[in-house]
Amino acid sequence: MEEEDPPPVVGLSLCHSAPLLWRAPDLRAVRSQGLVGALLGSLPRTPRQNGRLGRPLLLLPEEERLLTEHRAAAALPDHDQDRGWVELRQQHEEEQQRNFEEQSVLALEDRKASLLRAMTSSLTQSGAGTTDEDLRGHLEALDRNFSFPCAALAVQLSTTRAGLGYCPEARALLLADWPMRELDAPSCDTRYQVFRDLRGRGFYLTSAGKFGGDFLVYPGDPLRFHAHFIAVCLALDESLPLLDVLAVARLGSNVKKTVLLCSPGTDRVRYTSVQWSGMV
Amino acid sequence: MADQNKTDTEGKFYSEILSPSELFAARSRSHKIPVKGQKEFFPDNSEEQRQRLEQSLNEHWSLISEERVERLGNLVKALWIPSEQIVELQSPAGKFWQTMGFSANGKQCLLPEEALYLMECGNLQVFYKDLPLSIQDGYERFLCSDTVGLQQYQVYGHLKRLGYVVHRFDPSSEPSSYARKLNLPQSRDKAGRQLKRKRSPSPSLTSSRAEAQDESTTEKMEVEDKYSHVGEEDKKLPASPLTPPTSSSDVSRGQTWWMTDIPRDRESHQASTTGSSCWDFSAISFPDLGSSSTLSGCLDPPDPLLLPGGFTVGVCDVASWRQKINQREVKMSSKEQMREEEKRRQGRDVDKEVQQCRNWAEYQKLMVRRQEQCEGRPAHLWNTEVTPLHDPTQPISTGELLDKISVIKSTHLLEGASRLKRSDEWRICFNVYQPDTVADFKKSNPGKPYSRMCVCSFSGPVPDLRDIKQLALQSGNAPVVFAVVDYGDISFYTFKDFQLPTDVFP
Repeated sequence: MEEEDPPPVVGLSLCHSAPLLWRAPDLRAVRSQGLVGALLGSLPRTPRQNGRLGRPLLLLPEEERLLTEHRAAAALPDHDQDRGWVELRQQHEEEQQRNFEEQSVLALEDRKASLLRAMTSSLTQSGAGTTDEDLRGHLEALDRNFSFPCAALAVQLSTTRAGLGYCPEARALLLADWPMRELDAPSCDTRYQVFRDLRGRGFYLTSAGKFGGDFLVYPGDPLRFHAHFIAVCLALDESLPLLDVLAVARLGSNVKKTVLLCSPGTDRVRYTSVQWSGMV
Repeated sequence: MADQNKTDTEGKFYSEILSPSELFAARSRSHKIPVKGQKEFFPDNSEEQRQRLEQSLNEHWSLISEERVERLGNLVKALWIPSEQIVELQSPAGKFWQTMGFSANGKQCLLPEEALYLMECGNLQVFYKDLPLSIQDGYERFLCSDTVGLQQYQVYGHLKRLGYVVHRFDPSSEPSSYARKLNLPQSRDKAGRQLKRKRSPSPSLTSSRAEAQDESTTEKMEVEDKYSHVGEEDKKLPASPLTPPTSSSDVSRGQTWWMTDIPRDRESHQASTTGSSCWDFSAISFPDLGSSSTLSGCLDPPDPLLLPGGFTVGVCDVASWRQKINQREVKMSSKEQMREEEKRRQGRDVDKEVQQCRNWAEYQKLMVRRQEQCEGRPAHLWNTEVTPLHDPTQPISTGELLDKISVIKSTHLLEGASRLKRSDEWRICFNVYQPDTVADFKKSNPGKPYSRMCVCSFSGPVPDLRDIKQLALQSGNAPVVFAVVDYGDISFYTFKDFQLPTDVFP
């Protein structure tokens, strides 16, 4: 986790107001700031499973807001700006052509290498069956007859949209533009205060909807650590039915986690832990 | 491959576009996912722990940054048509065509979510203005919050990756609740069974009444074939549908009215004005189609006084019926004959009072009087508009009684749903079919879905009873499942009808 200073600006692209991160370095950059997000896409290597997912990464609203406050994120331009399409098309055609040529050279080399391997291994096996002459003849025949079928061309199905600035200069431009959207809704403020405080204390947070809370709180990177707490965010003056408190505490004890009632005060966030004693 | 990516990312200039040699090398890359290993409980700042974390992260990033590389020959080519929001195939479809896509104007097309999923699986390359679209382009261009938005697509992809067949739900292609009612499978069964048993051309008769009819007719008339009479009598004697529908014994009692030995005294009854005249038995013709060969092809209409009000019966042409009926004699064993005899005697002996009724009006009055006279029933409770839930003198099983006295009835999801006003807050998004049906799945005739999906999120409202009822009505034969999207997590919930168990058995 090599931290640069200032933190790199990541490019958010909005998909129906959902902030998505597409570029692998951007994903690494936010993770290095302790933000986990949620992967949504199929994993290229093994797409038909749900165990491990791939890009894009969806940011929680709190994560987006934190990045925005640190001036570490910028919204990328919308896809509708189809400028430069003609150049891109030309570029794409040239690339395809170059790709085909280079890959056919590579394929020929590959074939030669395997032929060589096969011949030498048969040579050592059968003693003196074939000669160097034979080998050369075979290789020349291969050179003459080899054609690389178009269907065998390996092509990339890009994850990220092409043609957007990958270089730091382009990002600097984005940053100067600063096209960030307004996020604030007072109802989310409690959640955000808690998120920022816990993150500031070094915890990693993910969404805890399936545990009936606001955040799951991890002591380290969720890749290696179990979550310790289920954070439930409440304003200090907000009342909560006792049954709800009991329910979430009991659920927390069932999944071996401590329930934290988190309320931002004037100076700091107050935490109360609720645990089912288990006494009968 | 992973290492190559890593070295790339460490340069100051990073490109996610692979070079030809990288592409070529990617053909032989592994498809295995590294195992995550056991998680730890607490960071202890040890070097080993740091190394394990670094290794996990490296594996994670190499997985995440991996680009899709496919042989051109394995890719299906397609065009994105934004105006119609569909993707049109340019080369023959692959295996996915069995469960995805549709044909329009002789072209093979995919819905946006299908195309996006296939792009993510590395099966499809979609072009727009001669340029291949990236996965990011797919997310941003294909997904549309009116039909399948990001959350809906998350659910779609989740289910597809699990192997389910997922189609958009189209409310117009579902049969209406009325059509569904007409198609109730058990009602069809019933009719079929009845037809078979009766072998008579009057399928409108319910079987229980047909039986009652059988008994009574064979009693009174020397009929050859009792089955033949059921249908035929239905036609010409509209009295039969009016037999008090209470029980078959009533009917057999009623039959004695036609007997010539009916008691003639009328003192005990307040006979209606027409009472005496209508029981001139010489004038009542009671046709017997089965045995009488002298009968003409037509039946005169019965005397309207014999009929309870509201019926008009015209001349009945019975010629066609006579051809249809079986006129063979019924062969009864002596045992059967004895049983018939026994039945007849019982029927006749039973109710003197009923026998003394001379017409329907009198019979009905008698019944009302009897109802009132039931013993052990405090009369005053029954005089007003509000009456006890149950008459203690009426025998009833415990189960039925419990049902009768439960003032607040239990209800099921579909009850009253059709009367609710439609709201657009909720909609069913997908039909879901189980993975094991894929082998013989037909897009044209997908059959009954395993479930239907609604997509919502934890930040949205919980569906109320009205929404659930409406969705259940719209769904009809398949359960409605709510897919709740919580950022990356998807949980599935469903509301089910529940019937409280009862330990009373009939």
